[in-house]
Amino acid sequence: MTGRDRLVIMGIVVLAVLAGAWIAVVSPERKQAASLEGQVASAQQALAGAESQAADARSAQARYVEAYKSIVSLGKAVPPQDEVPSLIYELDQASNQRSIEFNSISSGNSAGAGGGGAAAAAPASAASVFTSMPFTFVFKGSFFGLAHLLSQIDGFADATPAPGSAGSTATASDISGVDVSGRLLTIQSVDLTVEGAASSPARLHAPVGGTGTSGSQSELKATITATAYVLPASQGLTAGATPTGPAGATASPSATASSSPAAPAVIRVTP
Amino acid sequence: MKAVNLIPSEQRSEGGLATRSGGAAYAVLVLIGGAAVMAALYGSASHTVESRRGEVAAIEAHTREVQQQASRLSPYTSFIQLREQRVQAVAELVGSRFDWPAAMGELSRVLPSDVALTSVNGAIATSATSTLGSGKAPASGASASSGSSAASGASAAAVSSATPPGAVPTFTIAGCATSQSVVAATLVRLRLIAGVKSVELQSSAKSGSSGGGGASAGAGGCSASDPVFTAQVAFEPLPAAPTLVETPTSGSGGTKTSAGGTDASAGSTASASATTGAAR
Repeated sequence: MTGRDRLVIMGIVVLAVLAGAWIAVVSPERKQAASLEGQVASAQQALAGAESQAADARSAQARYVEAYKSIVSLGKAVPPQDEVPSLIYELDQASNQRSIEFNSISSGNSAGAGGGGAAAAAPASAASVFTSMPFTFVFKGSFFGLAHLLSQIDGFADATPAPGSAGSTATASDISGVDVSGRLLTIQSVDLTVEGAASSPARLHAPVGGTGTSGSQSELKATITATAYVLPASQGLTAGATPTGPAGATASPSATASSSPAAPAVIRVTP
Repeated sequence: MKAVNLIPSEQRSEGGLATRSGGAAYAVLVLIGGAAVMAALYGSASHTVESRRGEVAAIEAHTREVQQQASRLSPYTSFIQLREQRVQAVAELVGSRFDWPAAMGELSRVLPSDVALTSVNGAIATSATSTLGSGKAPASGASASSGSSAASGASAAAVSSATPPGAVPTFTIAGCATSQSVVAATLVRLRLIAGVKSVELQSSAKSGSSGGGGASAGAGGCSASDPVFTAQVAFEPLPAAPTLVETPTSGSGGTKTSAGGTDASAGSTASASATTGAAR
């Protein structure tokens, strides 16, 4: 074996020792460090998610008082029970303001008052949706009085146009909230007939520009089929929440302290 | 001058230590250097591992703490979701309504003055009640640990509208006019109501003719010589209701619910408002 051979062998041995050390000791440690980098990244992601959740929860806590007011106010439009007496009272008040006679109210659309082609009543919905309550109302009054009454009934629960989109175009449908002053009613049919048409000469005449005959003041009978809504029986008005906190939450002073009393309400209630 | 090597000739070939060890010294030096580098790399990696482990532990502990805090407040989140769903459901019901007052107002404005109506029968024809607001259920994880009744209530996002999108409002109008040409003019004028899709004459007959409109001559104040007509006015199908989105309200910490409108969601109210505006 020459000196050169010995040098080559020694070089190989040294390299083998170093490679072995790298493979056995250094490389696993570096791999572990790299995998821990991934763990740190995923832990940071989880933390960010949790912080986002917590921020949402804190925001929800800050908005609780306002939300409670809103949900209670919504109960005026969609109550937890049928609340027929209050519905009758609201309709009576509205018709009195328009000099309209509130003649009758009946539950369901069985009278066929909607006439031919009247929409079928919404079926009693499942527990997971608002429950529908069909009604048939009969009013008597002038054409424009009845039109104003319908407008007032629509106004019991009406959408608030968003700023800049207040009906200026046909596609301007942005709304900024809901104004609630009474029961939400969806009118399905309106049947206007001249009261005593066979014997009376009164005509249903809607004059152009208000210059027509006295027909617009004729006594009309309006049969209106409409649907009111109630919350499902499984839900209460506030789902167990109280003014101090929701069901299942421990009372926290920050719940009220962090809420601004001047916060804008989504639902505006006009008594 | 010639250089002379004074080293004895038998010692000249041995050279230094490296030469004398046959290269083993170089090998040892390389080995030591390599081991030093390996040790440095190992130490660095080990330090990184330790610090990362500590970092992960700290982050996980903080995460648990934050999660507990979020869990404690989850009833508030559930309640806010319930409120948003109810507001949205009511807004969708409001947005899906047909604007009866505007339609009646328009009807009164387009009718010629020499036409009298004996009845107006407006109805919204629909074959089935659609469900609005479906698919708005909250993320299940948001209220999974709350155990509050608000969470169970949050499932009631959907609402059945009695006047669902796609339903077609129709007016069946019966009346009389001073002549058949006025009846024709009435049909043309009825088409001016914005949102009207079609106007169909069902019958127009003078007394003694075989009109099928169901209104006899002389009824409702019409004279016997006036033609009695019946027409049906069909409106465009009711559009989809707008979908509510949350927009932050400045300076209050609260939120204001608004609707992100789409072209297809031009509510009947908005459409009728535009109609009224155009007519006026």
